[in-house]
Amino acid sequence: MSRRFLVAVVVLLVAAAVVVLLPFQLDGYHEGLAAKVAIFFIAVLGLNILTGYTGQISIGHGAFMAIGGYTTAVMSHYHHTNLLLTLPLAFVIAFGFGVIVGIPALRFSGVYLALATFALAVSVPQFALKFSKFFGGSNGIQTSTTPTHLWLYVVSWASAGILFLVAWLVLRGRTGRAFRSIRDSEIAAAASGVTLPIYKTLAFGISAAFAGVAGSLFVLATNGFAQPNEFGVFLSLELLVGAAVAGLGSLWGVLIGAIFIALLPTVSADVPLIGSAHGQDVVFGLIVIGVMLVLPTGFAGLLHRLQALPGVRTAEKEG
Amino acid sequence: MGMKVRMLAAFAGVLVVAAVATTAAFGAHRADPGVTSTSITIGGTFPLTGPASLYKTIPAAEKAYFDYVNDHGGVNGRKINFDILDDAYNPAQTVPLTQQLVEQTKVFAVFGSLGTAPNLSTWGYLNQNKVPQVLIATGDSYWGFSYKKYPWTIGWQPDYPGEGKIYGKYLASTMPSGKIGVLYQNDAFGKNYYAGLRVGLGAKKGNVVSAQSYDPTQTNVTQQILALKAAGADVLVIFAIPTQAITALVTATKVGWAPSATIVGNVSANRLFLLAAAANGANVNGVISTAYTVSSTDPSQANLPGVKLASSIIGQYAPSLVTSLKQGDGNVIYGLGAAWTFVYALQHAGKNPTRASFMAALKSMHNVVDPFNYTGIKMNTSRTDNFPIEQDILMKWAGGASGDWQTFGKLYDGVR
Repeated sequence: MSRRFLVAVVVLLVAAAVVVLLPFQLDGYHEGLAAKVAIFFIAVLGLNILTGYTGQISIGHGAFMAIGGYTTAVMSHYHHTNLLLTLPLAFVIAFGFGVIVGIPALRFSGVYLALATFALAVSVPQFALKFSKFFGGSNGIQTSTTPTHLWLYVVSWASAGILFLVAWLVLRGRTGRAFRSIRDSEIAAAASGVTLPIYKTLAFGISAAFAGVAGSLFVLATNGFAQPNEFGVFLSLELLVGAAVAGLGSLWGVLIGAIFIALLPTVSADVPLIGSAHGQDVVFGLIVIGVMLVLPTGFAGLLHRLQALPGVRTAEKEG
Repeated sequence: MGMKVRMLAAFAGVLVVAAVATTAAFGAHRADPGVTSTSITIGGTFPLTGPASLYKTIPAAEKAYFDYVNDHGGVNGRKINFDILDDAYNPAQTVPLTQQLVEQTKVFAVFGSLGTAPNLSTWGYLNQNKVPQVLIATGDSYWGFSYKKYPWTIGWQPDYPGEGKIYGKYLASTMPSGKIGVLYQNDAFGKNYYAGLRVGLGAKKGNVVSAQSYDPTQTNVTQQILALKAAGADVLVIFAIPTQAITALVTATKVGWAPSATIVGNVSANRLFLLAAAANGANVNGVISTAYTVSSTDPSQANLPGVKLASSIIGQYAPSLVTSLKQGDGNVIYGLGAAWTFVYALQHAGKNPTRASFMAALKSMHNVVDPFNYTGIKMNTSRTDNFPIEQDILMKWAGGASGDWQTFGKLYDGVR
């Protein structure tokens, strides 16, 4: 077993232990916050698969979160579906939408793809307003039962763990290599026999599915209430920033990125001199600028540099 | 008795005394969260940023009123601490912020939170935790009707369907043969307003010759206005949120339609909106709406105690709002009025208020006169009446692009 693998396993075990023991130390309110970190972890993980590993930019993942979130709300509201069951359902439905979006997106790249996904972010929540009778419109739609803080914490982190494993398995295998080759050079990838349309669409689908599950949990964290304003454009931007802070193309920095976007609003709610109304926005902006200047490869990049320090040098390069 | 038994008896006696004393001590000091002998802490969520941020003057005015009350000794010696949190009208932020208020700040009550969706996202949680959710800033009627399932929740302002009913009564009595055209938002908000109108019209509901709806996502309502005009309507009723209401007024003028009466729902009747419509070419003279608060710009109301009090409180405790007040931003008076009602209920909740005694005081108001409410309005609540204000005065716009609302007629009752 390689030393790197051993280190990874130890880190994972420690992280798992922390996650399991934490709820015994935290009160309900903080459990809710910790669950929020897990939710954004899942979403940023999904986005990273698309943007970091496959090189397809998306400023529209809030739309896939909306799809997952509304799936949970609608199924629970009308059919009293078990909340836990709505998660895999959201995964599948969001995957489907991701593939549907991925197909026309094959024609776009760079700025144009960004704009197309941005259009998605703007338009998808509006469907709830248009078909207000079914989706509740601006008065939202409520699940039939609401979970406790503890339930949310356990399910969010369990989902995060499961999906992390799924991401790891997908990315270390053939699919992951195909994704990376597409990111590095589409022409070279195609020349090497990678069927671009299939893998690009697959990347969109998987990425959307992750965001869908995150969206379901997001709605459950909002007392089971789904409403268009929860999935505004800023959410999609937040996810992209979270992915950038995490470091595109690496799974490890994702936790830092998730902590950043999940906890920043709470931590920066009252900023001296700026005041509570805009403190959050200013701090967010400053940190983004700071990270881009100092750590352009995000936290994962920092981890890389630490690994490259003498004494911690390893023979294998990060894949 | 032996030495041992005596010691045992004495020990038991001491234990009993200690137990009683402790229970008495806890019993005497057991108070609801957020209340101490010198302060009472409340909080609410408001759109200080985001698309609905024009309402941020409401919590600022409420805080000014509480500061004024605190300077005059507070309520039964307790100063009111009011935590204003920004949820940007996003329920995903309203929920954690409200949980923070309840579980971290441990507020006595959630006061004045703004918005239907934000309040719908938290009323289950608040009622489950028996936290008062009071005098919330929204005109939907859920809070008034659902008192059995959500007994800790109560609104303040007259509700939209009740207001629609008043327009119906007004039209039925003053224009019994008028042909009515209704523009309404195609969701619960607009539909409830329209339903209220039909109830108020009663036997005259057949006077509605056309009802056109628009999607909340549509900002262009030209098609609907043309359809109403083509149907021969000579009364235009607009149940829309500000953007579409202003657009409707402008469009009606631009297509050359001059209905004999135009009614605009109160939610879009802030003086600033009518000025904006006029600035864009709408003919706003004669437009009708309702009011339930005093006006800071109507010269005929300048000597009302509420108007003078508003001016003095804002001038002293919220000078940044003075300009808004002078321009007729109704949100400032709204905030003062809601805060006044909160203080009234707190004053009547006993010397050591509990959440239960506070709710009881709020739900047993009998002909209470809030100085910031329009003259003659009396607030009434009971175990079965969860609507504090159910009266409105009609007002008509005069003076064109630099004009103002002028109240007319008698006070209308939307009482159920």
